[in-house]
Amino acid sequence: MAKSAAEWNAPPKFPPTHYVDSRIYTDEAIFEEEKEKLFKPSWIIACHESEIPNAFDYRLFTHPSGVPLIAVRGEDQNVRSFYNICPHRGNTILYDPAGNAKRMTCIFHQWSFDTRGNCIDISRADQGYQSRFCKEDAGLREVKVEVGYGGFVWVNLDDACAPLKDYIGPSMDILAPYMQEPMEVFHFNRAIVDTNYKLWHDTNSEFYHDFVHYFNRITGMMQPGYFDRKYTGFPNGHATVGSMSIQYDKYEGSKERAVGWPGLTPGGWYMVDLFPGMTYNLRTSVLRIDTAIPLGPNKVAIEFRGLGLKSDTPAQRAQRVFDHNTIWGPFGRNLHEDLLAVHGQGRAMREGTDSRWVIHGREEASTIHDEIGMRHFYAEWSRRMGRASYEPFRDDRPAQARAAA
Amino acid sequence: MDQRAQIEELVYRSCMALDERDFKGFLELCDPGFRYKVTVYSPEIRKEMVWLDQDRRGMETLFTNLPRHNSDHSPLVRHATVYTVKMDGAQAEVVSALQVFRTALDGGATELFGVARLIDTVKLDGGTPRLASRVVRMETRQLGFGSHIPF
Repeated sequence: MAKSAAEWNAPPKFPPTHYVDSRIYTDEAIFEEEKEKLFKPSWIIACHESEIPNAFDYRLFTHPSGVPLIAVRGEDQNVRSFYNICPHRGNTILYDPAGNAKRMTCIFHQWSFDTRGNCIDISRADQGYQSRFCKEDAGLREVKVEVGYGGFVWVNLDDACAPLKDYIGPSMDILAPYMQEPMEVFHFNRAIVDTNYKLWHDTNSEFYHDFVHYFNRITGMMQPGYFDRKYTGFPNGHATVGSMSIQYDKYEGSKERAVGWPGLTPGGWYMVDLFPGMTYNLRTSVLRIDTAIPLGPNKVAIEFRGLGLKSDTPAQRAQRVFDHNTIWGPFGRNLHEDLLAVHGQGRAMREGTDSRWVIHGREEASTIHDEIGMRHFYAEWSRRMGRASYEPFRDDRPAQARAAA
Repeated sequence: MDQRAQIEELVYRSCMALDERDFKGFLELCDPGFRYKVTVYSPEIRKEMVWLDQDRRGMETLFTNLPRHNSDHSPLVRHATVYTVKMDGAQAEVVSALQVFRTALDGGATELFGVARLIDTVKLDGGTPRLASRVVRMETRQLGFGSHIPF
């Protein structure tokens, strides 16, 4: 039955943990708060170590909070990360998205920095600054870095953050057996979509939307074992999805994936969703990594990486690339459908559309079409934000305090 | 029509067929051994990438399966300019500039969707020139929500 305005605005008939107020996807103030409370203190994947294999190799990364970062491998082989902001006049230091730089030199006034973030040259320093300011005063802002969980370079803007392993906890245990061999990125693609970053992460956190994918229906949903896959939630908002055996040969033009992955059952598929917006997706022959970088309440850049093994022969690599592109490339069957779906959500939920609620109400014993993955995410979101996702603007302060504010 | 003009017309007809989603018509312009690739260099990972690689059979399947998938229906229009044609016996290497425009279904605004080079190998030995291979060498790397229809 169609709804009146009052019925449309009334909370859905579920426990409040099973829906969210859709203003959390559009409100500018909430978005700014998310950058401070969710992204700045979280460990975020900046790149993979194979993108910076040699000393002085660097890679630029825009942190989801908006901070431009450099990840650079030093002469000592350690990876460090710094703001890509010159401490002199606030200029960009490095422009190319990746490269090799023994000295990182700002083009504006030629101040130079080494891979430890030390300033090693200030042009005409003595003449201008005399003894008032020197190289030792002009270091780069360093941020925390750890390399792990398959060789990824993780950054954290909070100097007092807990170690990466404490943040990840046991959530990656399910993938650990399959990340013993060195990997290498062979695919990078950045998609900018007018939608909220959480909606992308939601899509990675539920499989009910397999109805949008012909490929997944044919090779997965209609095959034995599909409905046995289970979600497991972990501390800090992370979640995993167990495996099944995908029947790739059921899709015309596809075939059984011959390359496989060390230790993984043929056709196997594991996913790990990491708060607040990263996903490991190991599907038979390829590891895909998504990193969501919000650009606004209704705009997100999603960085997609495809990885194979460093030990791949050219034929094995070509097969992995083919497998990847069939569903996950920019012209692939599934990626376009997923991106189109969240683009549609962004279009329907943008400011002023009177979208009110998003329901996460499916309960199927935590199996594949249960929406527990999203509920788990929003429980953590609410905890960190100090706002209930179903009632984000509720103000429990006494009337007097509210009036004073 | 001289041979260069025939080759140019082949390139333009291939674009028009794809614009019109006349995939059968597109494949009729292709040799049985046709191979289609989309390649792009990523300065982020400093690697050459392949984004699509199909033989003629693979292209047929890709087109046949299209109605089963959920795709963006915005029309794409390809604007090609043949730059060079290098004859080499029974075949020619043809380099063209390509711009792909996308027109939104809602409102009709047109945006530049992608810029690329077409590097075609054209077979000349059967009377009518046929596409033996096409490499779409992408310059544009951000394609938003992407496309199910190749360039």
